[in-house]
Amino acid sequence: MTLSEGKVGEIYTVLEVQMEQKNIVRRLEALGILEMTKIQVLNTKRGGAFIIKVRGTRLAVGKSIAQGIIIKEE
Amino acid sequence: MGTESEITVGFIGNPNCGKTTLFNVFTGANLKVANWPGVTVERVEGETSYKGRPIKLIDLPGIYSLTSYSIEEKVSRKCIMEEHIDVIVNVVDASSLERNLYLTLQLLEMGKPVILALNMMDIVEERGMEIDLHRLPELLGGIPVVPVSARKKTGLDVLLHAVIHHYEEGSKGSVVHYQKEIEDLIAQTEKKLETHYGKLVHKRWYAIKLLERDEEVLTYYPLGVLSKEIKYEKQIINQKYDYIEEIIEETLVNKDAKAQATDKIDHYLTHPILGVPIFLGIMAMVFFLTFTIGDFLKGYFEVGLEIFSKGALNILEKFGIAEWLISLIVDGIIAGVGGILTFLPNIFILFLALAFLEDSGYMARVAYIMDRIMSKLGLSGKAFLPMVLGFGCTVPAVMATRALEKEKDRKKTILVTPFMSCSARLPIYVLFADMFFEKYAIVVAYSLYLIGVFIAILIAMIVNKLEKQKEPQNTLLIELPEYKSPNARTIAIYVWEKVKDYLTKAGTTIFIASIILWFLLNYNIHGMTEDVAISFGAAIGRFLEPILRPAGLGMWQIGVALISGISAKEVVVSSFSVLFGVGNINSAAGMTELTQALAGYGFGALNAYALMIFCLLYTPCVATIATIKKETNSWKWTIGMIGFQLVFAWSVATLVYQIGRVIF
Repeated sequence: MTLSEGKVGEIYTVLEVQMEQKNIVRRLEALGILEMTKIQVLNTKRGGAFIIKVRGTRLAVGKSIAQGIIIKEE
Repeated sequence: MGTESEITVGFIGNPNCGKTTLFNVFTGANLKVANWPGVTVERVEGETSYKGRPIKLIDLPGIYSLTSYSIEEKVSRKCIMEEHIDVIVNVVDASSLERNLYLTLQLLEMGKPVILALNMMDIVEERGMEIDLHRLPELLGGIPVVPVSARKKTGLDVLLHAVIHHYEEGSKGSVVHYQKEIEDLIAQTEKKLETHYGKLVHKRWYAIKLLERDEEVLTYYPLGVLSKEIKYEKQIINQKYDYIEEIIEETLVNKDAKAQATDKIDHYLTHPILGVPIFLGIMAMVFFLTFTIGDFLKGYFEVGLEIFSKGALNILEKFGIAEWLISLIVDGIIAGVGGILTFLPNIFILFLALAFLEDSGYMARVAYIMDRIMSKLGLSGKAFLPMVLGFGCTVPAVMATRALEKEKDRKKTILVTPFMSCSARLPIYVLFADMFFEKYAIVVAYSLYLIGVFIAILIAMIVNKLEKQKEPQNTLLIELPEYKSPNARTIAIYVWEKVKDYLTKAGTTIFIASIILWFLLNYNIHGMTEDVAISFGAAIGRFLEPILRPAGLGMWQIGVALISGISAKEVVVSSFSVLFGVGNINSAAGMTELTQALAGYGFGALNAYALMIFCLLYTPCVATIATIKKETNSWKWTIGMIGFQLVFAWSVATLVYQIGRVIF
C-alpha cells in the first residue's frame, strides 16, 4: 500500500520511496524518510494531502508524494 | 587568550530552527524572520565581539543536509569548505532534535569545529520533555552543547565563549562509525584520494561523499577506481539515522509522554472540512481589525495633521514666504505626504496581524489547507504563502516565491501575486469605501480583497489550462512547526520594519511624487497658473480621459492620479488631495469636501467602485516592477506583465461599470 491509503492515527513503516523526481526523493531522505522509517498519519483531506509525523517532525505532503511512499502496517 | 585575530563563524541549521532570530540577536540586524522554511536565500554577514575579540558571523541558508542537490546546500557547503569558516555554530531546534541532528552528524564529518546551539528549549520544557545535557555532548564526540534562547536572550555569552574556546581546541572529528563494510570502503577511498590528490584536509568527508556518489565531489575528485554502479548513500543515511535514534533514546527524556497541544490545535485548524472556512474567517478577522481598530486610531493622526498643517501655514505666512512656496509646502507636500501618514494605523494593525500569524506557526498550515485548491491550478499549496504575504507588500511576496522548487510555478505565482491587495492599496479602499459606501465601507473593502484573490486564482487556472500539463504533480512538502505563543520581540521587529518602510516611502517616493504632481498641476507652458484645468497635469490627464471613460473614470484628474499611482499605490490618494486641494483627505471634513467635488463631475459610488477595481488590478508600483524584473531576469516577461495588467484592469473596471450602470 501507499501512504495515500493510510489512515489517520495509524503508524506505518516505509518500505520504499518511489518517485520519478529524484530531487524529491532526496529531500525526503534528508528528512529521514526512507526504508524502515516509521510514519504516523496525523491528518488528511480531500485532494490527497497528508500531515504526517516522522522522527518527531510534522510534515505536510502533497498527493504525488503520498502516492510515492510505499508503506506497510506495523 | 592568544591572538586577537577575527574569528569567522558560520551559522547553519535546518530551515525554521530559529537561526535567523539568533543571528539577529547577535548582530542587531533586523533580518526578516518568518516561521516557514526557505527565508534565508542569500548569505548575510554581521559583526559582533566577545571580550574584545572580533567575531564575524555568516548566516547561511537553512538546509536539511549537505548533499549537492539544491542551491542552498551548495552555497552552504562551499562557504564552509572554501571560505575559511573557522567555527560552525549549528543551530538546532531542540524540540525536533531527531531531524536536526542529521545535519549535525554531517557537519561533524566535515572536520571543522562545531558547536551545537540548542534553541527552543522552552518548547521542549512546555511539552514536559527534558534533554540530558551531559549525555548529548558525549554522544557527539565532546563538542560544546549550549542551550540558547533567541527569544529570551539567554545563553548568548556562553555560546560566544564556546566559539572562542572551541576554535582554539579544534575539531573533535566525526562520531558516526558505520558498519564494517562502509568503514572499510571509507578507508580505501581515503587512501586512494591521498595517492591521487596528496594530503587532503577533510579526506573522510570527501571519501564519504564519494561513496554517496555526490556529483559535485565526483567532478572535483573523479576517482575512476570506485565501481560506478554501487552507491552507498542509502546505507550511509540509514546508519546515520540509526545513530541518531541511539542518541535520542539516551538523551530525550519523556518523549511523547504528554499529549501535545499542537496536535489538538491542528485537529481544528487543519480539519478536512473546517480548515478552509477557519482560514477565511481568520483572514476576515485580520481585515476587520485592520479597518476598525485602524480607523479608531486614525482619528488622532488626523487631528495631529490638522494642527500641524494650520501651524505650518501660519508660520510660513508670518515669515512672508513666497506664496508659491507656501502652496508647494501646504498643498503639495503636507497634503500629499501627510494624507498618507494618517493611514499608518491601518497599516500597523494589518502587519501586526500578519506577524502574529507567521510567528505562531499558522502560516505553514495554510499551505496544507489551500493545497487542494492550489493543486487545481497546477500549483502546490506552498505557492499560496507568497500570495498571503502579498497582502502585506508585493515586493517581499515576489521574493518569497524563491521557496518554490519549480521555475514554472514561480513565474505563475509571480504573475498572480500582484492581484493580492497589498497594504499600499489599503488607503485607496479605506478612503473611497468610507466616502461612498459609509456603513457598508468594510464590506466593500473586503469585497476588493476577495475579488483580488478570486482573480489571482482565475488567472492561475487559465494559465494552467494553456500549459496543458499532462498529470499535475503535487509535490507539496513543507514542515509544520510547533505552535508557539508569538514572541513580542519578533513581532515588534517585524512590524517596526514595515512601519519604517512605510514612513520611508512617505518621506521619499511619495514626497517626490507629491512635489512633481504639484508642479504639474500649477504650471503650464506659460509659467505658473491659478487654474489647474489648464496645467500640464490636466493636459496629460485629458489624453487618458477618453480611454478611461468606458470604465466610468473619464476625468482628467483620475488619469493623473492613476499615472502617479505607479510610483506607489498610496500616491493615488495623495494625488486626490493635491488635485482637489483637500488638505486633510482622510478626515470627515476632507472626505465630505472631496465627495462633493467629485459629485460635481458626476462621480458617484459606482465610479468609486470601478476606480477601486482598477487600482486593485493595474500595474503595481515601480518597486514591484523592479523586483519582478530581478526575480524573473526577463524584461520581456516583465513588460508583458505590465501590459497585461493594464489591459486587464481596464477591462474588468469597464465591465463592472457598464454592468453596474444597467443594474443601478
